[in-house]
Amino acid sequence: MQKSQLQSSEKKIPHPIEFGAYSEHVPGQIPSALKYATGRFMEQRAACLDELPEWEALRQAGSAIRLHTLENLDFYLEKLDQQVIAAGGQVHWAKDAADACEIVLELARQHAVKRAVKVKSMATEEIGLNHALQEVGIEVVETDLGEYIIQLMGTGPSHIVAPAVHLKKEQIAEVFSQEFGIEAPTDPVELTAIARRVLREKFLAADLGISGANFLVAETGTLVIVTNEGNGRMCTTLPDVHVAVAGIDKVVPDWESLSVLLKLLPRSGAGQKISVYTSFITGPRRAKDEHGPSEFHLVLLDNGRSRILQDPGGRETLKCIRCGSCLNICPVYRNVGGYAYGWCISGPIGAIFTPQILGVQQAGELPFASSLCGACDEVCPVRVPITDILLHLRRRVAEGDAYEPAVVATPLRAAAALGRQALGTGWLYRLGGRLLPWLQIPWLRAGWLYKLPPPLNRWTKVRPLPAFRAHFRNWWKRRHQVSTGDQP
Amino acid sequence: MSEQNRSVILDAVRGALQRKLGDSLAVRPPALSPRQVASQAEELQLLIDEIQKLSGHAQMISPSQVSMALAELVRTYQVKQAVLWDAPLLQRLGLATRLTDLGVRVIPAHSDKQTLSECDLGITEADFALPETGTLGLLSNAEHPRLVSLLPRLHLAIMRPAALRADLHQVFAEARTHAYLILISGPSRTSDIEMTPTLGVHGPRDVHVWVLDTDQ
Repeated sequence: MQKSQLQSSEKKIPHPIEFGAYSEHVPGQIPSALKYATGRFMEQRAACLDELPEWEALRQAGSAIRLHTLENLDFYLEKLDQQVIAAGGQVHWAKDAADACEIVLELARQHAVKRAVKVKSMATEEIGLNHALQEVGIEVVETDLGEYIIQLMGTGPSHIVAPAVHLKKEQIAEVFSQEFGIEAPTDPVELTAIARRVLREKFLAADLGISGANFLVAETGTLVIVTNEGNGRMCTTLPDVHVAVAGIDKVVPDWESLSVLLKLLPRSGAGQKISVYTSFITGPRRAKDEHGPSEFHLVLLDNGRSRILQDPGGRETLKCIRCGSCLNICPVYRNVGGYAYGWCISGPIGAIFTPQILGVQQAGELPFASSLCGACDEVCPVRVPITDILLHLRRRVAEGDAYEPAVVATPLRAAAALGRQALGTGWLYRLGGRLLPWLQIPWLRAGWLYKLPPPLNRWTKVRPLPAFRAHFRNWWKRRHQVSTGDQP
Repeated sequence: MSEQNRSVILDAVRGALQRKLGDSLAVRPPALSPRQVASQAEELQLLIDEIQKLSGHAQMISPSQVSMALAELVRTYQVKQAVLWDAPLLQRLGLATRLTDLGVRVIPAHSDKQTLSECDLGITEADFALPETGTLGLLSNAEHPRLVSLLPRLHLAIMRPAALRADLHQVFAEARTHAYLILISGPSRTSDIEMTPTLGVHGPRDVHVWVLDTDQ
């Protein structure tokens, strides 16, 4: 496996994400495992939706609620802030990844934290929190089984819902054997039992619990976390301090809206009617014997989200509730896997989220990592118009816009501009049609152009260009004079 | 840093949306109307079926059968230590005494977490039940601590038919003022290793739900 593919999402990417290069040498194991896993998710989803005739109405309601929240986000963020504080929690605001890490590190220092346990969270992946904590000597343990396995292996997640889905049980047994000095069997049930024992000790010993958020209810300042394993409950109940890191886009107005989104999320992602555990946490515990942390901290992370909000063409990206169904359906993702997308969020949602967070200078290849088949639009439970946003971002890469400069090199853009001018101007088009058959002669070999001078060689490096035949109208006239069979 | 960041971020959001401080709020789009409810008997049957689909165990039970069912549970799961909520319903059923009679050590619910983690059985009462998804809803307070339904390998939840709710909407309407709500749908599970469904990864491996046939 290439080093670039193994690049942990926790490290800053020093150079542009090369989707093309990363996806060239994907080990065969990844697509085969992903096709199986995503196929299962989609089957379960289909069975689940069959039982729910009002699915489309639910999607429509979910989409409208998410968009409404984003369009009034300042109001709901202020409400959330007030309510978390009223419930006895503390709110911290982070402009970027460095801010967010610093806030958590400061909390850890104040409480002399040595051991932290963590619920799987895309926001903490995004800010590289584990790395920051480990650098100051704090042990951070991922507790979602899949996430724990890939943490032991030192890689990033390949799927946002099932992070270790590309690994074989034999590989996992090997890692457990090395790590725990035992002879681990290759049975998934026994491997899970080993992880349960190891992680139970970690839960009991931890002095800090770290989570993300699936939703934040503005009305009451409530944090909502969805898990199947119960690690979310452990991390938010056992340690005495709980810190949740969440993007500012995670807000929902009230519990009524929440009921819509909670019906959409597990059904769409894993094909479950409901997740095994859904926790609703409002501030710290109110009585000692109740269990739960004595301190609750919420870190609200911007990290480029307000910039996404500014661009009406990209804004709906933030409607996403991270169910993973666009990954499961995507023919590109299913063949290249999560690592090819070069950052913590992969698949179609990664292809639109990452370029807007990191900028198209760094992630300009990602909007092109799609065939625009539109399957993601069809499955998205909150109707994020993913293909529209992909096209919007492609334009941004090519031409630049009010938000970002163009990525594409000037000569290529000049050539494209010239082409556009020529095709759009009648007389120039006709002139070109007459001249090109003659101009191409030096490069013409048996009806094909194999090598063209720069910048047109961008095309011919990859494949030959068919020769210009003639002015289209002339060709059309001739085609009808001659019998139609002999023209390709 | 944080206080300054707060206004920077909120200003950035307002600027992005071309809104001003104190701008009025658009009306929130409606959520869907709640689910239609069948008769209580049908709802209870649906609940039991759905819990079983999730690999949980659920049954109707009358107070007079509790003693026998408890003995069977203790025998099947080789329960040595148990912890239970200090709830009036559980007291009325005399669970603590019955467990002691069966030779089970009853641990106080406010014991330290290490001790609770060694318990085989945790007993709670469900505050809510949602038939459609086989879900139990538990609130928490000093008498109803959160770890009882989480740390032991076996969770027994006892509920009265009055705990039935039609939909999440109803549960939320009642639970929103509480510090904590947990919705539990079947035993802890994972499919993280080769998509093989496995029970009991962190939370209880087994969940039993006893639905009392009376609200008394």
